[in-house]
Amino acid sequence: MELPVVWANYISIALFLALGVGVWSIPKSAVVPAEYEHQSWRDLRFWATGLILFQIALYAYFS
Amino acid sequence: MQRQRESTLHPVDLAVVVTYVGLITYVGIRFSQRVKTAKDFFLAGRSLAWWVIGLSIIGTNVDTNGYIGASGNAYSIGIAQANFEWIGAIPAMIIAALIFIPLYWRAGVYSIAEYLGLRYNQAVRVVAASIVVVMSVFAMGVAMWALAITLQTFIGWPIWLGILVSGTVVGLYSVAGGLGAVAITDSIQVCIMFVCGLIIVAIGISDAGGTESFISKLTAENPTHLSAYLPADHETYPWHGVILGLGLVLSPAYWIGGQAILQRTLGAKTQWDASAGMMFAALAKTFVPVLIVFPGLLALVMMAEIEYPDMALPWVIKNVLPVGISGLMFVAIIAALQSSIDSSINSTALMITRDIRHVLVKNHNPDADLKIGRLLTLGLLLSAMSIAPYIGNLGGIFNFLQSLLSLFQGPMLALLLLGALSKRATGTGGIITLVSGVALAGILSWVVELNMLYVAFFTFCYAVPALWIISGFTQPHSEEHLKTLTYSPWRAR
Repeated sequence: MELPVVWANYISIALFLALGVGVWSIPKSAVVPAEYEHQSWRDLRFWATGLILFQIALYAYFS
Repeated sequence: MQRQRESTLHPVDLAVVVTYVGLITYVGIRFSQRVKTAKDFFLAGRSLAWWVIGLSIIGTNVDTNGYIGASGNAYSIGIAQANFEWIGAIPAMIIAALIFIPLYWRAGVYSIAEYLGLRYNQAVRVVAASIVVVMSVFAMGVAMWALAITLQTFIGWPIWLGILVSGTVVGLYSVAGGLGAVAITDSIQVCIMFVCGLIIVAIGISDAGGTESFISKLTAENPTHLSAYLPADHETYPWHGVILGLGLVLSPAYWIGGQAILQRTLGAKTQWDASAGMMFAALAKTFVPVLIVFPGLLALVMMAEIEYPDMALPWVIKNVLPVGISGLMFVAIIAALQSSIDSSINSTALMITRDIRHVLVKNHNPDADLKIGRLLTLGLLLSAMSIAPYIGNLGGIFNFLQSLLSLFQGPMLALLLLGALSKRATGTGGIITLVSGVALAGILSWVVELNMLYVAFFTFCYAVPALWIISGFTQPHSEEHLKTLTYSPWRAR
């Protein structure tokens, strides 16, 4: 039995959510050099989260 | 609704093109004054900022197929084409930015093949570099051919003249300025591409009567054109093939192992700039469908009378855009092609100079790297220009080489993943897995005749346990050797 096509969107969203969990499992020290520690905008985990949320929105819209 | 124009460029458009060519050549040659060593030539002296890296990555990534072919595909299958820019890119780019780029950067390598050589052995390094070099020469020839065809279509230049002019322009700044010139010119080219893309969206939606009208016209006769995925029985892009093959294997192999893409991150001024550059590229990549998918949908909405889908973008340029802007859009296509050719030439010259010459020529002189790199860049450019006019006849060979390259993606990804994330993988395990994985991919591809997306997925599924098991029986590198070559963010540094 084949899954409906819309399941591809659900799976994509689930993969992006899993990626988000993976991103935040990386310690800050591995992403932000010590000299930039107090500059939040340099924390690439926030950049990644923004990208992931945008992708989730795209796959939710084009379903 | 449609503004029909003649097939040659308007003088204003021509002036835009000439200005662009002059600007790119000037910027590229100016940059050449900074090149004093091989490190300057191949890695821009490790001086690139994150935003230059990000724009240059997109410039390298969007090529002929990406621009004209993707618009054609979008005309046929709709927004599903954007999967190549979304699930087929973004997750792998995030992983590359946070895990692999810091690793390569700390290892201090010039290329991914060099990393594989350090992590596994020199045999893996030479095999990995050789595959890319052979493919790149043909790919550059194809890009040069496509550029000449574009010039012939819009300006009426004969093929030989198009190849000669475009080759000379690319050669001037690539040979003189190396990666620095390539990255700066790429950045300018990508800005032009995005400006043109936004203008097409604005004019297209306005001509269609607004967003709602655009969507209703698009979906009236093409109800699946706004669905991100196609049915499981679709011949070319079945949805599970897209997720498993493209999303989980081909895309990561490209974004964490593609030399032309990653070379600019290795030329970053800091490790943070390298990672942030890739992350910025991912943000830009999210919007690439505006450039390459929207024109295909617009041609459909405007009921373009075209013979085949790949004519969608040329049709939009000729019939939708006003004078001056169409010249800029034409420039954007040239820019897309040039930015892919220049990056490919520089990275190929690097791999021959260091990954092949340094390993195979025992008494090589590292001080000669800059001179050899420049000569190779010129030689590669001339080779691509020489074969470009015959690419039409070599199509079968090129397709064969392309499918050959795709055979390596599954095993290569396994080597990169286990090499970076585990200390267990060994040199012997690496070369055995690479060779046997490619053999399996050949059988699945040519004997079983499986779709390439599935071949990539299944060979990856074979290569991961194979490398794991074989490595258990062979001699690993020392802990000290692997310290900077494996990723372990939880380990105290």
